[in-house]
Amino acid sequence: MEISKEGDTFPVDIEVAKMSELVRGMLEEDADEEDTTEIPLPNVKAQVLKKVIEFCKHHKSEPMTEIEKPLKSPVMAEVVQKWYADFVNVEQVLLFELILAANYMDIKPLLDLTCATVASMIKGKTPEEIRKTFNIANDFSPEEEAQVREENKWCEEP
Amino acid sequence: MANQGNGNIIQLEDGWNNVIKRGAIDVLERTLDDGFGTSFEPKEYIRIYTTCYDMCTQRSPYNWSRDLYQRHGETIEQYLRNTVLPALQDKTGQGGTILLNELKHRWSNHQIMNKWLKKFFTYLDRYYVKHHSLPTLEQAGLQRFKEEIYQNVKEDATAAIIALVDEEREGGIIDKTLVKSIVELYESMGMGSLDSYTADFETPFLEATRAYYARKREDWITKDSTPDYLIKVEKALNEEKVRVVEYLNPASEPKLRRVVEDEILQKVQMNLLEKEGSGCRVLLANDKSEDLQRMFHLFSRLDSGLQPMANIVESFITEMGNACIDKRQTRLDSGEKDKNDDPEFVKSLIDLHEKYLGVIREIFASHHLFQKALKNSFEEIINNDVGQFSNAELMSTFCDRVLKSGGEKLSEMEVEQSLDRIESVGQRLLNQRSASDDAEKLMIAKLKVQCGTQFTSKMEGMLNDLAIGNDTKVEFDKYVAKQPPINLSFSPQILTTGFWPSYKSPEIVIPENMTKCLEMFKEWHDVTHTKRKLTWVHSLGNATVRATFGKKSYDLQVTTLQAVALNAFNDGSTLGLEELQKSLNLDLETLKPLMHSLSCGKHKVITKSPASNKINSTDTFTANAKFTCNMRKIRIPMASIEASHSKARVDEDRSYAIEAVIVRIMKARKTMKHQQLISEVLSQLAFFKPQPRVIKKRIEALIDREYLERSADDQQQYNVSFLFFHVCIAH
Repeated sequence: MEISKEGDTFPVDIEVAKMSELVRGMLEEDADEEDTTEIPLPNVKAQVLKKVIEFCKHHKSEPMTEIEKPLKSPVMAEVVQKWYADFVNVEQVLLFELILAANYMDIKPLLDLTCATVASMIKGKTPEEIRKTFNIANDFSPEEEAQVREENKWCEEP
Repeated sequence: MANQGNGNIIQLEDGWNNVIKRGAIDVLERTLDDGFGTSFEPKEYIRIYTTCYDMCTQRSPYNWSRDLYQRHGETIEQYLRNTVLPALQDKTGQGGTILLNELKHRWSNHQIMNKWLKKFFTYLDRYYVKHHSLPTLEQAGLQRFKEEIYQNVKEDATAAIIALVDEEREGGIIDKTLVKSIVELYESMGMGSLDSYTADFETPFLEATRAYYARKREDWITKDSTPDYLIKVEKALNEEKVRVVEYLNPASEPKLRRVVEDEILQKVQMNLLEKEGSGCRVLLANDKSEDLQRMFHLFSRLDSGLQPMANIVESFITEMGNACIDKRQTRLDSGEKDKNDDPEFVKSLIDLHEKYLGVIREIFASHHLFQKALKNSFEEIINNDVGQFSNAELMSTFCDRVLKSGGEKLSEMEVEQSLDRIESVGQRLLNQRSASDDAEKLMIAKLKVQCGTQFTSKMEGMLNDLAIGNDTKVEFDKYVAKQPPINLSFSPQILTTGFWPSYKSPEIVIPENMTKCLEMFKEWHDVTHTKRKLTWVHSLGNATVRATFGKKSYDLQVTTLQAVALNAFNDGSTLGLEELQKSLNLDLETLKPLMHSLSCGKHKVITKSPASNKINSTDTFTANAKFTCNMRKIRIPMASIEASHSKARVDEDRSYAIEAVIVRIMKARKTMKHQQLISEVLSQLAFFKPQPRVIKKRIEALIDREYLERSADDQQQYNVSFLFFHVCIAH
């Protein structure tokens, strides 16, 4: 049983819950695994936890293929199975919350998938496009920008 | 990334004191000390984890990763220094077991603490430790234990374990689980290698073991007989082996074994072997199989540990053999006739050989050193001749006799004589005088076991020839039946050159009717085997001659040569020795014994004048018309032209063996110095040791036949000649 930040409970199989290293490390000590254990997860919102559990459940039936790095394509469907590509086709806010949850709960495949998704959004884009994508204000002064460009000249050359 | 869960930033001291210290560390230390077990409720667990997580994920300057990592180490260090070390120091001096028990308890507590802290702080392991290439939390915890505790108590702990092991060696009961868990501590302190175990425990332990067994050795060697001593050694070695399995690291097994073997076996090896009243020789003399076997197994553990034992066995067997020879000497001295056959003596040697062959097989596991010892001792015995006849010759005659009569089962042969024997066997087989083919096969099988295949392949070839011979005879008889009839029955035997010894074959003039048979066979043979060359060896043939003396006729069983000679007298003529020699084309050396057998033996079918027991060149011969005998079938024996054991023949056969070895070596080396070649040949010849000059002669013979050539720039160096390469390829 996993409990979200707001106190909503989500019943989960032990094997599914153990996808999270955090949960696994905690259950290791419990000799009595038959009992239902309530695991409070104060850092994860109910809406996000629901997605996380969905991911873990699916991973049990169809494990995610290892994501090749560097990414071979900016299109997630070409990097990972369709279900997972669809899974991360969500609003940016939710995507970032999934990253945080995966990091907090220590679920490596989910962290890989969500980070790769963000990376795919950056891949092949100019700084201006990236700023636009993630809604980031350009807080460099022109001098600073010139300096950064100079330092990273190598990556702009064909 | 900002901490999304809790809106508030966690200050370092706040998070540390209120959650981590109070919720985790204090609880851990308290539960470890009271010993009722340590566990955390999920809610508590998550609260601590989340606090650490948040403190490590807050943005700079509120990211406390570095501080938490440092405080994690300090926490462990403080606890070890303030609580654990005093507890241990308290127990030092109260006895090894008490100290070890406390250490075991504290070590297991440390593992619990280290595990929980690692779980709570695990976020540090995932990023901070990785990015800064620091020891993981677990390693850091172990490192603290090593520095604060292990370094301070390891010597006392090692001494305590050694005392316990010594106690166990003396038959005491000790807490093995305790020792095992402390050994595990030593293993862990190597941080993935065995270095700490080896340096801090194993080395002093092995030294102590050495000292322990050195004391035991001094004690046992004076008190115990060799068998009793060895029983103790066996027991000690077993116990040490079990000890490793029960509570030491497996890597110690060979080292521990070596130390014990060295102290209680190696250092007193000769004392044990030569101990008066119970040494190896005494055990041999009294057939103490079990003790000998134990001795063999124990010494086989040492590097070249069996050689001294094999030496004793060798000299013992030699002594036993020489005792047999002394007995024969005594009998000869007391006036017994010196014949070329002394079954009692030969049997005593055979029995001796058989007995120790069995000993070597059953007790010494047929170990090669002991086989060699037996071989060497018998080489020496066989060559220790007394009386007129060599021991080898006595054996040879004996074997020949045994096989001919087929009565007793022949049990043993001596390797040294194999070459001679091949010859004797060859003659017996051809003369069809062998009592049983099976007995011959049995002997060959035995020889094969003893001498190796190259010796017996010849004999197997011989038997094979004879087997094929029977088929050939059937085929040939069918062929003969279709030919114009001749009044002789004839059965040839084909021998393959190489398998059989080289026989002298006199170029005797064969009577016409016999020649016909030979031609007929040659015709038949050449059709079936076009590639083979047929040479007749008349000296090996046998014939049955129907002879009529007066009214009675007899079947005379004779050799081909005798038959041809008898044929010359068929017309009743009287012939002088020289006439005979001319008409038969035989040399005197062959003719004399031939005529001797016909005119001076038991059955005088030829009359010699003047009558005497010796053949002179002036004698004349005629058929003995007055010959009578009670039996119709008469065998007229003739001394074999070739003595069954002739030195010249053996030397000849050996020279082939030497040449074969030379060729083999040169084929491999292509070029070689004279001295080098000689010593190489000597080392490769297994069954006899020729003089270097004999080998030199063979080398020269090979040069003459252009197999080898002298090196152009060094006369003492030989090269393989070009021709020889051709020869090699052609084969």
